Amino acid sequence: MLGELLPLMTDFARWLPADYWDLSIPVYLFFAAVAGGAYITGASACYIRARRESGPCCLESEIARWGFMTAVASAAIAGLAVLSHLAVISRAVLFPIYLTNFSSWITIGTWILVLLAVFSVICLLLQLFGEQAAEESGASLWPRVIFAKLGLLELADRLVDAVRPPMAVFAALHVVGSILALATIYTGFELAIVETVPLWNMSVVLPMAFLTSGIAAGVGVTLAITMLFEREIGPVFGGYAVVVSIFSALSLVFIAYGWQEIATSDAPAAAASHAELTSGALYVGVWLVALGFLLSVVAGLAIGIAALTDRLSDRAERLGGPALIGSFGLLFVSALILRVLLLLAAEQNPVVVAL
Amino acid sequence: MEDPWMFYFDPNRCIGCHACSIACKQRHDRDPESDDWRTVTHLSRGEYPEFEELPVSMSCMHCHDAPCETVCPPDAITKREEDGIVTVDRDRCIGCHYCAWACPFGAPTYDDTGLMSKCNMCLGQGPGSGHDQPPKEKPEDGGLQPACESSCVGDAIKAGPRSEVLDHASEKAAVRFENDAYGGRVVVEPVGDDAELSAAIREDETDQSAAWLNG
Repeated sequence: MLGELLPLMTDFARWLPADYWDLSIPVYLFFAAVAGGAYITGASACYIRARRESGPCCLESEIARWGFMTAVASAAIAGLAVLSHLAVISRAVLFPIYLTNFSSWITIGTWILVLLAVFSVICLLLQLFGEQAAEESGASLWPRVIFAKLGLLELADRLVDAVRPPMAVFAALHVVGSILALATIYTGFELAIVETVPLWNMSVVLPMAFLTSGIAAGVGVTLAITMLFEREIGPVFGGYAVVVSIFSALSLVFIAYGWQEIATSDAPAAAASHAELTSGALYVGVWLVALGFLLSVVAGLAIGIAALTDRLSDRAERLGGPALIGSFGLLFVSALILRVLLLLAAEQNPVVVAL
Repeated sequence: MEDPWMFYFDPNRCIGCHACSIACKQRHDRDPESDDWRTVTHLSRGEYPEFEELPVSMSCMHCHDAPCETVCPPDAITKREEDGIVTVDRDRCIGCHYCAWACPFGAPTYDDTGLMSKCNMCLGQGPGSGHDQPPKEKPEDGGLQPACESSCVGDAIKAGPRSEVLDHASEKAAVRFENDAYGGRVVVEPVGDDAELSAAIREDETDQSAAWLNG
């Protein structure tokens, strides 16, 4: 009797608890990767500005400052989200003492996130203060207004100029920072090593999906914020829009591949995850993710290439700004929902007493 | 680690009485309202009269590769070299739940403190008590027999060094274990569709009943 029973048990016997995560986890996983994407935007804008040798007040400076600002804010949100999930926050804050297991992605990730946050803060301060920043204007310089009201602006400018590194060190800073930004791929590895959850246990697809979607969201949101204040869509904007489009397309490829893996898997937990993602409330989320990434691919490519090749008509430029802001805003939300879905639809394979 | 301690479970002998999980709770002063360190799950299928059920008793299996230890950021989890028992140092645990994600058996539990606790094969009593305990000894050497094992009315659970557990297991279970069933983390008897095995169990039970009757 029992021998007949067990082969069929895998149809529904999901008896291992899968409730060890809450919303703070996808928020952490998302914003850590967004910090990486935003940092890369800032660093690349600095590089483009240096290559062009254009004067002050250029668009690249605005993109750089918004990029580093977004990176700092995202790293802070990610840090607070993960701390809110922990039982003993003080031990996590003392991570150099307590987090000693470097085979754990949480330990590795903590160091990556903290170092990325430090690099982002340094780069932001170097962009916000000093002689060069004092000559510039733009909405991204709003912290200078606060410092001025506090009577600290001159001091901050002097301090930053005093410690401003030479160009070679500055370049090295951006290279290391960009490596750390790419290393936010660790957020994918944190899930991918969980062998009992088929939805996560994809050692290449999931980390790559997390990295590409994080970079797309990070670059996209930086661009959207900048465009709120700088409506002219020039070749620089066009180039970044194409980058967002490419990373969104890559994300879609990885997501589609992972979807196929889950849909065709024999594992009962994979079937359960697939069923949850294709019915009920999560189904709406799946469509939203697909729509968000697809729209940013289309809008980024169409407007981006037109701007890059100087073929953007006045009317298209007027509509292009809101279109890019809207599509990149939706992309940002979609990339977060992607991670929420991966947590909500996760099912552990039951350990069935086999024949 | 020459002969690490591990668990053996025979679903053919488990009657689903929960004596194991209750004994565990009593020894370790756990929440009486729910199963945690040791759980008994009743796998079921169908509706009366086609209803079928199988009880399965589970806990931390003290895996040879201990995925929880690998992922634990603060090194709070240790696969002990001396006896293979996996223990947790709650003075280092940060309560991140990553061990629960990694565990194939859903063994880690979290109380009101948010810190992890789980079966320590009765090395000590209570959460975290297994940490830094001397090596596990067999009952005949003065060691404490795990509460689940001593309370199991059907002898469905056994804990001990791997060599002893494999000696106790049927040949089929031992072969399956050697063939990496359950990742080589626990020895489980095949469920009794095997006519010979079922007969052997019945014969054994009859012998025991007879012995009891003969007093």
